[in-house]
Amino acid sequence: MEPKRHILTSFESALENLRKDVLMMSSLFQRSLENARKGLFDRDEDWCNTVIVDDEEIDSLEIQVDTEGMEIMLRYHPVASDLRNVISAMKTSVNIERAADQAVGIARRARKLCAVQAIPDSSRIQPMFQHTMAMFADAMKAYADGDPALSETLKPRDKELDEMNRNFAESITSLMPTNPDSIRGMLELIFVARCLERIGDLAKNIAEDTIYAVSVKDIRHTNQAQPR
Amino acid sequence: MINNDSTEPRPDFISIRNFSFFYGKKQALFDISMDIPERQVTAFIGPSGCGKSTLLRNLNRMNDLIDDIHHEGDIVIHNKSIYDPHIEVISLRKRVGMVFQKSNPFPKSIYENVVYPLRVAGQNKKSILDETVERSLKGAALWDEAKDRLHESALSLSGGQMQRLCIARAIANRPEILLMDEPCSALDPIATVKVEELIRELKEEFTIVIVTHNMQQATRCSDRTAFFYLGKLIELDDTQKLFSNPASKQTEDYITGRFG
Repeated sequence: MEPKRHILTSFESALENLRKDVLMMSSLFQRSLENARKGLFDRDEDWCNTVIVDDEEIDSLEIQVDTEGMEIMLRYHPVASDLRNVISAMKTSVNIERAADQAVGIARRARKLCAVQAIPDSSRIQPMFQHTMAMFADAMKAYADGDPALSETLKPRDKELDEMNRNFAESITSLMPTNPDSIRGMLELIFVARCLERIGDLAKNIAEDTIYAVSVKDIRHTNQAQPR
Repeated sequence: MINNDSTEPRPDFISIRNFSFFYGKKQALFDISMDIPERQVTAFIGPSGCGKSTLLRNLNRMNDLIDDIHHEGDIVIHNKSIYDPHIEVISLRKRVGMVFQKSNPFPKSIYENVVYPLRVAGQNKKSILDETVERSLKGAALWDEAKDRLHESALSLSGGQMQRLCIARAIANRPEILLMDEPCSALDPIATVKVEELIRELKEEFTIVIVTHNMQQATRCSDRTAFFYLGKLIELDDTQKLFSNPASKQTEDYITGRFG
């Protein structure tokens, strides 16, 4: 059922604008990650540079979301679901901004890789890209739709991504003895995989905040590894 | 001394049981059941006409002054029904003090305002009256401002000071319970903050029930909040829980301003 609209229309608009800005940040980030991927696989420096330049816009939006969130708290004193949604939006924007920094990290490493000989079997990282991008898209879809069920899927998918990262690092490392000239490039690829793994963590964080905003269930730091 | 017979506050110090209230044929409250814990602040919120003030005024039987009213159910304070035929309404009101929306000092000196309830009860011993004035004005955070002008007219005080004087008068007789019906609605923000801080301090000694339209005030001052709508108790919970994650959709709609 659609929630009732707020009596104070300016409050309703402020909440809507906040949400739109977070979704805009997300779209820009997803475009940047795709550009970083193209830069890496097409060995095209221009795509990499685009990612680095576009990061400024995402940074500005993060500040804008903070300002809007503060203003909503100051002017309207939100409570209950409104308060949770404002806090969730502000936390989500921080996570998107950090994810965008990882995309910049990928672009910088891809740019370095453009300058060296192509790395054998570099396409092995492609499934990690697809997995990460799908995770992030779903985390943001769940945020936009207020869908805790979709958010719940992020945690196991993040574990899968961790496993993919480990496997990738192992497989690339195993190639190093036979390709000593490519070791530097291979290390850059391992760092790229590490950036993707980190983006997966951030997507999971967004999903956790969505679950809290919608169902007031705090699932952070649950199922942690038992102490040895 | 009141409240000294037990160190643990009673969770059901005031127990409202299946209480309904009627103005003539019009039913204002419907089957309200709730417990109000001792030495905590409980806020009643809800839109105008929801019955919150009616319920508050029943806690010391102020509504008895209105013609053609009747009730069903019971209100029990400290294990004794306030409708027990052996209860004297006057003595009930000594135990259950009240502060109103608009401060209502008597056209007398500050001193005489505070000791008025004691004089009515026949107490004229100067040492007791002096002690009561100092204790009550200190309790109402007014002593420092008023100690050098105790015999000036109460009407010379500012609005916020007058309201704190009324609180001092209400606690002069050491009631167990303090009822507050929108005590800050006529005060400026600074005076409001002082009264709110006072409410937090007074709960150490008194059980406080406050009716407020200001939801930020309820979140700042109260430990528990009850939301009423159309004469029914919709939700009662810890204030922090009710304002962050209300169980009822009606409560959520009201506190977030999606009402009507």
